[in-house]
Amino acid sequence: MSYSTTDQTKHISIFKTLPFHLMIFAALIFIWEMTNLYGFEDQIQADMIAPRPTHIVLAMLDIFIIDKTVWKHLISTFQKALLGASIGTVIGMGLAISATLSVTFRKYIKPWIILMEATPRIAVGPIFVALLGFGLWAAVALAALVAFFGPFVNTFQGLMEIDEEAEELFRSIGASKFQTFWKLRFASAMELISAGWKLATASAFGGALVAEFIQASEGMGVLISQYVIMITMDYAFAGLLSVTIFGFILFKIMDYFDYRLIFWKNDLLLLKESEKRRKKAGITS
Amino acid sequence: MKLTSFIISFLKYSLSFIIVLGLWEAYARYGGLNELFLPRPSKIGSKLYSLFVKFEVIEQGTIYWHFFATLAQMSIGFCYGITIGTTLAVMAAFNETFRRYIAPYAVVFNVTPGIAVLPLIIAWFGFGWESKIALATLVCFFPPFINTLTGLLKKNDEAIELFQTIGATQSQYFWKQQLPNALPEIFAGLKLAITTALLGTIVAQFGSATEGVGILMQRFAFRLDMAGSFASLVTMAIMGLLVFTIAEVMDRRIVFWRDAKGLERVSKKKQRKLMVNG
Repeated sequence: MSYSTTDQTKHISIFKTLPFHLMIFAALIFIWEMTNLYGFEDQIQADMIAPRPTHIVLAMLDIFIIDKTVWKHLISTFQKALLGASIGTVIGMGLAISATLSVTFRKYIKPWIILMEATPRIAVGPIFVALLGFGLWAAVALAALVAFFGPFVNTFQGLMEIDEEAEELFRSIGASKFQTFWKLRFASAMELISAGWKLATASAFGGALVAEFIQASEGMGVLISQYVIMITMDYAFAGLLSVTIFGFILFKIMDYFDYRLIFWKNDLLLLKESEKRRKKAGITS
Repeated sequence: MKLTSFIISFLKYSLSFIIVLGLWEAYARYGGLNELFLPRPSKIGSKLYSLFVKFEVIEQGTIYWHFFATLAQMSIGFCYGITIGTTLAVMAAFNETFRRYIAPYAVVFNVTPGIAVLPLIIAWFGFGWESKIALATLVCFFPPFINTLTGLLKKNDEAIELFQTIGATQSQYFWKQQLPNALPEIFAGLKLAITTALLGTIVAQFGSATEGVGILMQRFAFRLDMAGSFASLVTMAIMGLLVFTIAEVMDRRIVFWRDAKGLERVSKKKQRKLMVNG
């Protein structure tokens, strides 16, 4: 007999599954719409709890194309999150690299790191807002603070995992310390490191939004809470959806970046890259 | 032997801790550190003393009450979150259609920063405990979901063959192979979830609340009482450490086969049991 764990490796082409996906999606939206129309006794209450999908789409049209209110806030939030993520990544990776290079530093930084990990870092938000004001920098600082941990942990873990045979090879061909670090440790850690960047970006968004909820002059956090306070839930959903959509696009871009940067994980790219390098070095194959 | 080395390393760590605090204090006193940015440690200490030992009442309760409220909200949200997450994951692991067509929505859900839903959650659930529990549930359901799913889908062909040859039933296979095989991943998910649940609770308290450590933090910060807000930050750190330690200990106890020492301990226990019975 065989056990009924479903097989993950079986591949079905997207063209076969897509119609079903669309059907299920349409059915979900339809049920939602009908619930709003007929599921509640009171229409105001219905719009409060589950605004109609058609209204949400109209609201999106309004804020993106007709009224164009969303762009300013969207750009502001993305700016804060990306700035925070970059600062956090630089700090996190710097700490991780120093921790791998120096044993003493690693030893003494450890309790601080555990402490930092256990503290809900986002909770510093009100302090930053009180100190740095309602503008850009409070949100950037909070985003950087929550973002630094992902790159730190991933970089550290990646750099510490070392292939001993490869290290021996490097030693036998007389590679310098810098070469060993850069071409062996860093390159083999690259996958984990880029996963850390993605973690940083995701948490930086959380940090920026929380800072905006606490108090800010502009940003998606401000916009969404304004819509909620005005009880225009369809607009609030539209704002939420735009954060999701643009976040998703950002992640897809990062995925692609990843794919190109870590070319040696993909056979085709590896072949192309090695061909290019061979040409550059003047070796004809 | 082991104890002394432990004591020595403990002393070393606390020494480094004390040195950092001492430098901070000295700089605050003589170097002209702006107290609005970083209050000196002694002030934070005295604030902590008055909060924890002298039972100073802030926002309708002592710090213990706020501590308890946050912890309770977090644990309820955590329980809901892991129930939803693991149930969905088990369903997705055993039903291919479900996994193919419904599970992607969970992933899309995760792309939305859960925290962004805060205003909506407050509008739906009000200013009481419900909104905190709801946000904690929302932000913490995903790690258990994805980890349980990958854990259950992890396949060990040799083990399957073994189970087939000894004629194990489906349920035996699930309980004795599939679930234990997935447990390390599941627990990694739970550890992630418990810290995010705490985060969700505190953020929801920033939104609006009458009790909880988050609201303490906000009130202190807005009064520019920096010593107070750092004291509540320390409280949160204690809470985080507590929660984290509980999760870690549970992980080590239940997934005992991960390290050699735990494996030895449990197998000795089982051996003894067998000897008594036989």
